[in-house]
Amino acid sequence: MTAPLLETRNLTRRFGGLVAVNGVSLSVSAGEIVGLIGPNGAGKTTFFNLLVGLFPPSSGEVLFEGARISGRRPHVIARAGLTKTFQNVALFMESSVLDNVVTGALLHSDLGAARAQARATLERVGLAAVAEVRAGELSFPERARVEVARALCTRPKLLLLDEVMAALTPPEMEEIIALVRSLRDEEGIGFIVVEHHMKAVMKLCERIVVLNFGEMIGDGRPEAIANDDRVIEAYLGGGFRRPDRAGGSDDADGAGGAKGARA
Amino acid sequence: MARRGTLAAYGGLAILFALLPLVLDPRGYEMRVLCLVLLFAALGQAWNLVGGLANQISLGHAAYFGIGAYASTILQQVAGLSPWIGTLAGMALAALLALLLSVPTFRLKGHYFALATLAAGEAMRVIANSWSDLTGGPVGISVPFNPGSSVWMMQFQTVRPNYYIFLVTLILVTALFWRIKTGAMGYRLRAIKENEQAAEVIGVDTYRVKLVASLLSAAITAFLGTLYAQFQFFFDPDTIFGLAAFSVKMALVAILGGVGTVAGPLIGAAFIIPMEELANSYFGNSAAGLSQFAYGIVLVAVILVNPYGIVALFARLRGGRRRDRASRGGEARP
Ligand SMILES: Nc1ncnc2c1ncn2[C@@H]1O[C@H](COP(=O)(O)OP(=O)(O)O)[C@@H](O)[C@H]1O
Ligand SMILES: [Mg+2]
Repeated sequence: MTAPLLETRNLTRRFGGLVAVNGVSLSVSAGEIVGLIGPNGAGKTTFFNLLVGLFPPSSGEVLFEGARISGRRPHVIARAGLTKTFQNVALFMESSVLDNVVTGALLHSDLGAARAQARATLERVGLAAVAEVRAGELSFPERARVEVARALCTRPKLLLLDEVMAALTPPEMEEIIALVRSLRDEEGIGFIVVEHHMKAVMKLCERIVVLNFGEMIGDGRPEAIANDDRVIEAYLGGGFRRPDRAGGSDDADGAGGAKGARA
Repeated sequence: MARRGTLAAYGGLAILFALLPLVLDPRGYEMRVLCLVLLFAALGQAWNLVGGLANQISLGHAAYFGIGAYASTILQQVAGLSPWIGTLAGMALAALLALLLSVPTFRLKGHYFALATLAAGEAMRVIANSWSDLTGGPVGISVPFNPGSSVWMMQFQTVRPNYYIFLVTLILVTALFWRIKTGAMGYRLRAIKENEQAAEVIGVDTYRVKLVASLLSAAITAFLGTLYAQFQFFFDPDTIFGLAAFSVKMALVAILGGVGTVAGPLIGAAFIIPMEELANSYFGNSAAGLSQFAYGIVLVAVILVNPYGIVALFARLRGGRRRDRASRGGEARP
């Protein structure tokens, strides 16, 4: 095991009385693909937001390559090599797909090089055909892929993917899984992947972390997680099926399950 | 190819405006109106740098404009300094004000930002009115008269030289705007406009980008304030720091023409300034308050009806025609 790329220590974030992320201590090595699961409202997105600096933590800290990054502005953290995609998709909707991705590439390149890098990345994620289309005109799955391309162009060492496979068809999911794998294998990029689709998570990730009510209740290999009593409890309590059997076309059910989990 | 066509159109326009004074009375009313058109086109373009590209709608740019006008005029009065030099002080002061304003306003968006900048402009007006020792107070201030023509003192027998100074400035400011819009900074400003959080997360230093654009915009606006002072020879706090006279009008020029576009302020100024002159001559000066009211109405109407301005209107009409043609083509197919 190498020294951790990312380390959180007792990371906590409160919103008023609600503790959205509660004392999470986690470390991720370079080039790992980690799944982050948990019912809706468990704090997954908030956890990502703390990592990339969109919110300051209420307590605890985040270290990236051994340096403390919590409290820094997001663009500083992006430059260090940590960025994310947005669950609700936050593209520059009036701009073309290419311009969206170029903006990410400008972090490390001048405009000419950024354009070339953006085109190559669009090619890689299968969006070359829509490069000139306005981002706002794309379908949701396409937008999510633009998010991935834009984030990749910032040359991350660790990329946080927040439900980029939502609403994808199984073959589209396979494409994303293959893409993430190849990015890790060829470029050594590490990933933390939030996804409701259990089959996809199990297939893609070597390690799964489970959040419930903001607390980390599981961390281990997929098979171990799938059979962990607390994890099953958290899901079953919310009316979820066993996580290793969940999946198929039911990712939209996540929301309903989460409300159940809260009740 | 489209780009070369556009460039040719701008070149043709510049040549037309360069030749226009040759056929006009150099002391005439038309020349004065054209000077104002060029001035407001340049003001709209400077405003567009932040208001247009980053959607930070400032309603306080008169603060920078007035600072430029006062700085060069006061330095001329007390030290006999050339306005070309005095304006540098004005530009620096305006940039300093922009820097100070950036601290409380950078987290503000939309209406809150607009209101905060509006307050800043009004504050400058109040200061200029009450700090009589420096500014001459509410009675206004005059540029010291120099007989004869002097490029160095920016004073001329007719407004023809002023016209050319305005024209060259407009061309330079437009070129700068185009350069920024199409360059890396333009990408970053648009990212801020369309989603500031996402821009930060992918590595855009949003505060710094906004600050650089604001400083440029403020300094250019101050320079234009000096040009205006040397053109008008007299001004008072209520005019130069005025909400309707400058702050809103320069925003309106850009917004009406097409916010964030190169052509927008040019079209907006060519439309608004002559309209205003017509209205004034029709209603007479007794209805001076009317123009303020009219601006409010026009601004609201534009934002409600067509927030993207005249440029977009033309683009849409053209696009509509193209679509018509395409659909007709479709029908023709078997
Ligand atoms: N900006 C915010 N302000 C207040 N509450 C928030 C905010 N962001 C998230 N929350 C709350 O924090 C909890 C965790 O939300 P989130 O991180 O989005 O969960 P997940 O991504 O796992 O579905 C939820 O109860 C949510 O309502
Ligand atoms: Mg979420």
